[in-house]
Amino acid sequence: MRLLVVEDDKTIREFLTRALAESGFGVDASALGREGEKLALEGVHDALIVDLALPDMDGLELIQRLRAQGVTAPVLILSARRSVDERVSGLERGGDDYMTKPFAVAELLARVRALLRRSTPSQSEATRLRVGDLEIDLIRREAKRGGAEIQLTQQEFALLEYLCRNAGRVVTRAMVLDHVWKMRIDTSTNIVDVHIHRLRNKVDRDTQQPLIRTIRGVGYVLKD
Amino acid sequence: MFSRIRRSFYRTSAWRLALRSTLVFAAGCAVVFLAMYIVVARAVQERSDSWLMGESETLKQVALTTPRDGLYDRIVEEVAEQASQEVSYDGSGHPIEGNTVFFAETNGSGQPPVWVGPEESAKFLEALRRIRPAQGTPVSVRVPGWRAPFRVVAVSMKPGEGHIYLGLLDAEAAALMRRLLVRFALGWLVMVVLGFLVTLMGLRRMLRRVDAITGTAASIRSDDLSTRVPVKDQRDEVARLARTFNNMLDRISSTVNQLRTLTDSMAHDLKSPITSVRGRLEIALSLDDRSQSAELVAGALEQLDRLSDVITTSLDVAEADGGALRLRPQTVDLSELAGRVAELYGPAFADNHQIFAISADRPVVVQMDVPLCTRMLSNLMENELHYAGAGAEVRLAIGEEGNFAAIRVEDNGPGFSAELLENAGDGSPEPTRVFHRFVKGSGSQGHGLGLAFVSAVAMAHGGRASARNRSDGRGAEIVVELPLGEGKHQPQQSTQASVS
Repeated sequence: MRLLVVEDDKTIREFLTRALAESGFGVDASALGREGEKLALEGVHDALIVDLALPDMDGLELIQRLRAQGVTAPVLILSARRSVDERVSGLERGGDDYMTKPFAVAELLARVRALLRRSTPSQSEATRLRVGDLEIDLIRREAKRGGAEIQLTQQEFALLEYLCRNAGRVVTRAMVLDHVWKMRIDTSTNIVDVHIHRLRNKVDRDTQQPLIRTIRGVGYVLKD
Repeated sequence: MFSRIRRSFYRTSAWRLALRSTLVFAAGCAVVFLAMYIVVARAVQERSDSWLMGESETLKQVALTTPRDGLYDRIVEEVAEQASQEVSYDGSGHPIEGNTVFFAETNGSGQPPVWVGPEESAKFLEALRRIRPAQGTPVSVRVPGWRAPFRVVAVSMKPGEGHIYLGLLDAEAAALMRRLLVRFALGWLVMVVLGFLVTLMGLRRMLRRVDAITGTAASIRSDDLSTRVPVKDQRDEVARLARTFNNMLDRISSTVNQLRTLTDSMAHDLKSPITSVRGRLEIALSLDDRSQSAELVAGALEQLDRLSDVITTSLDVAEADGGALRLRPQTVDLSELAGRVAELYGPAFADNHQIFAISADRPVVVQMDVPLCTRMLSNLMENELHYAGAGAEVRLAIGEEGNFAAIRVEDNGPGFSAELLENAGDGSPEPTRVFHRFVKGSGSQGHGLGLAFVSAVAMAHGGRASARNRSDGRGAEIVVELPLGEGKHQPQQSTQASVS
């Protein structure tokens, strides 16, 4: 998978390149809109990450030009502007997702993966998920650890399902709130910790191998 | 220089407006004066005409009854002389300068006409030949060498016996009419000039006040918003404009001051966490133990998240206070949203040894910005988690009160301190201090933004938030009211963002 990052801020461009490369993506980067356009037109990128405030061209204009020239790769917009209108106009003009700065790298990676999944035909939806000796049945809404059933509330099951779907990857609190409770609130509340704590008490109790881990300062990961 | 000033004066609205109104005024006055002149002229003419008609009838009778002998001409001349005396002298026998009467009688026989009047009779007879004698109706006849026209009445004798002409030049009347005309013209001129000057001065005075507003607006600088337009005790449109302009400046200046306060407070609030983040990272860098340094880095990250949250919320509250928070309202059931928030917070209350209950049984449909209202509810819950105290009972109720949807949060904790419930009295739309930015209770670890955000969002929706201590003794109560149905802000045509 090859990505193109168009971002004029050197520090952000460099850490994005590094974070994406460490996650296994091939990365090209450009500080300018024109150069980015040229690179994108080669047609070798699976997704684009575009900052809105470029020195030579508005990011929205770049996206529009690329779409007009037949570039179909999904685009994740980065912006320091946080207005809803900006977000909507970004999505209307060819962007596929929108993130405001500051953002967590984990969330950026998750969104890039989601974009890539959306753009490639998905395999048939799994009905069972398995991580180590944890197994969840999405149809019967049951979870088992080492064969023993775990009694979970609806919320707890939804949370565990989200963690399992992202097994091995870090999810942030904001991502959990968004996907499990359908709430887009950027808040530094530790309310999600309470739920993770309760879930962990049920999933990882009586076991030497805890699956749910907290990455302090970032979020959580469910990992064998 | 002078010509430039004059040129620029001619370009002023005062000059243009004064000129236009004066032209209209002058035309109007001219029409009125002309009408008056015509009425007076007719009345004067009628006076001489009636004399002419009466005398001509007498002369006709004399001419008809006098035998046509050698004395005929003399008799007729005598009578005509006598008649002319009547108008040539005033009532007290003084001659009236310039009044002239003539009499002519033509007969069909081709003999020279009988003539009584000024000596140059040929000119008169020539002029009389040109008129068609209309029986008994005076007409105006100009005679060469005479300044004013004569009024002449022609009377036919028997058929074929010729005509009698009696003419009168009423010099007194003509002079009167001339004087009238001159005075009317002078009066008109004076009125027009005076009218023009008064209009011009009035307009200039008014427009100078407009200029003062322009000058004030031009002198406003971002660092000095203190200049105001002087307003005297007037109630006209310009005074209203000036007052409105001053009010606008007051509002701008208050907003700018708020922003300054905000930036000052934010700078203050950001400095300590930045110092702490920096410190943690510095120590982490110097440590060899990876787990220890990771711990410090994680702490720094958490602090950065909180900082980012403070900035976002501050901006939202500032925008809402400044009326600039853009809402994207959707029609939603507030009870359902509150239910989800309650599900999210329920376990936290339990962990905190607090008893939490929600009563939101009936759907309450509200037009609202869902992300903002979700954060508002979340802030209310966080507030209870932090300040209601262990063992407190917290109750969240959603209902309808009049035209408003009410979010009521009650607890039986320690309640607000009296200081927080004070009226700030600074004229801001939100009077209660507890809803002000950076105002926080003595035990608060936060930034004093949670409830400020609640109030700001409520106001942006056309509603309000209020806080009090419960009347039945212990505990605090916060009520947020949002308009039911269509709020103050019309729902904008929003394209649903498909953000995953």
